[in-house]
Amino acid sequence: MARADLSYAAAIVGACESNEIGYPEERGPKVTSLQHHIEAIKNVSDYTGIPISDIEGVFSAGWSSELCEHLGLRPKYIDTTAVGGCSFQIHCHHALAAIYAGIIDIAVVSHGEAGWSYRGQTGRGGGGGEVSPGYEATAAYGTFGAPSQYSHAMVRHNHKYGTSPEDFAHISVVTREWATLNPRALMFSKDTNPFGGPITVEDVMNARVISWPLTLFHCCLVTDHGGAVILTNPDIARSLKSNPVWIRGAGESMGHSNMVEMADFTATSAQHSARTAYAMAGLSAADIEMAMIYDSFTITAGMTAEMLGLAPRGKGYTLWKEGHAAPGGRLPINTNGGGLSFNHSGMYGMQLLVEAYRQMSRTAEDGVNGIEGKQVDASNCIVNGTGGTLSTTGTLILEADDA
Amino acid sequence: MAYDKPIPRKGQHTKPFWDGAKEGKLVIPRCKECNRVHWYPRLICPYCHSMDLEWIEASGEGWLYTFAVQHRAFGPWAAEVPYVTAFIDLKEGDRMMTVLRGVDANKPEDIKIGSLVKVEFEKADEDTYIPFWRVVGDV
Repeated sequence: MARADLSYAAAIVGACESNEIGYPEERGPKVTSLQHHIEAIKNVSDYTGIPISDIEGVFSAGWSSELCEHLGLRPKYIDTTAVGGCSFQIHCHHALAAIYAGIIDIAVVSHGEAGWSYRGQTGRGGGGGEVSPGYEATAAYGTFGAPSQYSHAMVRHNHKYGTSPEDFAHISVVTREWATLNPRALMFSKDTNPFGGPITVEDVMNARVISWPLTLFHCCLVTDHGGAVILTNPDIARSLKSNPVWIRGAGESMGHSNMVEMADFTATSAQHSARTAYAMAGLSAADIEMAMIYDSFTITAGMTAEMLGLAPRGKGYTLWKEGHAAPGGRLPINTNGGGLSFNHSGMYGMQLLVEAYRQMSRTAEDGVNGIEGKQVDASNCIVNGTGGTLSTTGTLILEADDA
Repeated sequence: MAYDKPIPRKGQHTKPFWDGAKEGKLVIPRCKECNRVHWYPRLICPYCHSMDLEWIEASGEGWLYTFAVQHRAFGPWAAEVPYVTAFIDLKEGDRMMTVLRGVDANKPEDIKIGSLVKVEFEKADEDTYIPFWRVVGDV
């Protein structure tokens, strides 16, 4: 059943980042994940004018009790859903429902992840056991992290649809073009990173192979990031100094947890989470004017565009290759420079939300995150997070207040 | 040479699989209610949710569903790069992961999805024989 009455039941009223994202240790001391959380929450509180003490619901990927304690909150609603990078889209879906139900009026969704500063401190390989029979069945086979898994999806997509790694390389090239409009993007220019600035398809194809056919430039960055958004009911949203961005549709789904359980390596559950979101919104893919699509890898973005109905099956990459997704195109995609060239801390869903808020609140050119030409002419934005190994998805359809 | 790669810790309900592997047999779960096999081993049939499961000896044959070539690895696997990882569709149904044998990792364009593959077992320790799949025929 589509819950059309949830459409517009809540708005995102602000979205901010922590103070030092990317590679903080190049500029000062290491930043912890908790610090990223707290700075982002403080910043979004200042931005919206909503005191932290007014927050009633706390949503994060595993951090909610620690955040509440740290902030001295006595929340009415606690959600700590941790299903990978799409957790934050799913948190917004849950917050929408909690606000609609009248349980809370003000929610914060928070993210903090010192993906770079504390890299290499998690275990690698081995293990398995009774708590995870899926891991027991795959631990012997020499895969290490996301790139070594997602490459299998690229090969299957190439086989099934006659696509090529070069086709997907265009996604990296166009996304980099967007990064050159975002001074906070790690790959903004040669000044921000030796590998920064514009790139070509040849650059992507000739980069170091990580997990064939994925080269380094088919893969996202590994950085630090923190971000937080506040959602409120419509009355509060209209009373604030910041611009509301409406949640017109929302949905979530999952296909599997372990990649060995993925039924079709060219399809994710985004087709289901998007269907729910479109139904709630009363919109179809043809109505969508811009998109923020999780791009952990080029294959993730290309395939997800198909799942969202923005392109036919097997043709997602054409949105980039034909320039539609690029600055000035008819369907701008990943206008912050993406996980590929802006920032990717491990769970990238918050970065999607922050940028979608900036575009839909008409503030993309303001402050530290944009230069002229970055604000796109779109009145709605589909936001899709993908978590795990192409496992879990959350879809939001956001709409500008002036739409 | 002693097996030096990570060895999976064994769960409490997967013993028939590991016992079979020790004898060179691919033993997988099948639901007595709906007759479908599944992998990895569950406590409940993921299709019909019956808990009436049995273990059967599979043919040990299947087809290559997809693959990738790993160029970046850690620990003992690092010495093996590049190597091919793959997912195998079992003749009986459902899918297993493997490091693929019988292929040249430096010529991925010669590896054909749909190729016939057969299982073989490598001794990792006294109780652990790990299944690996080998390409034995064309598409």
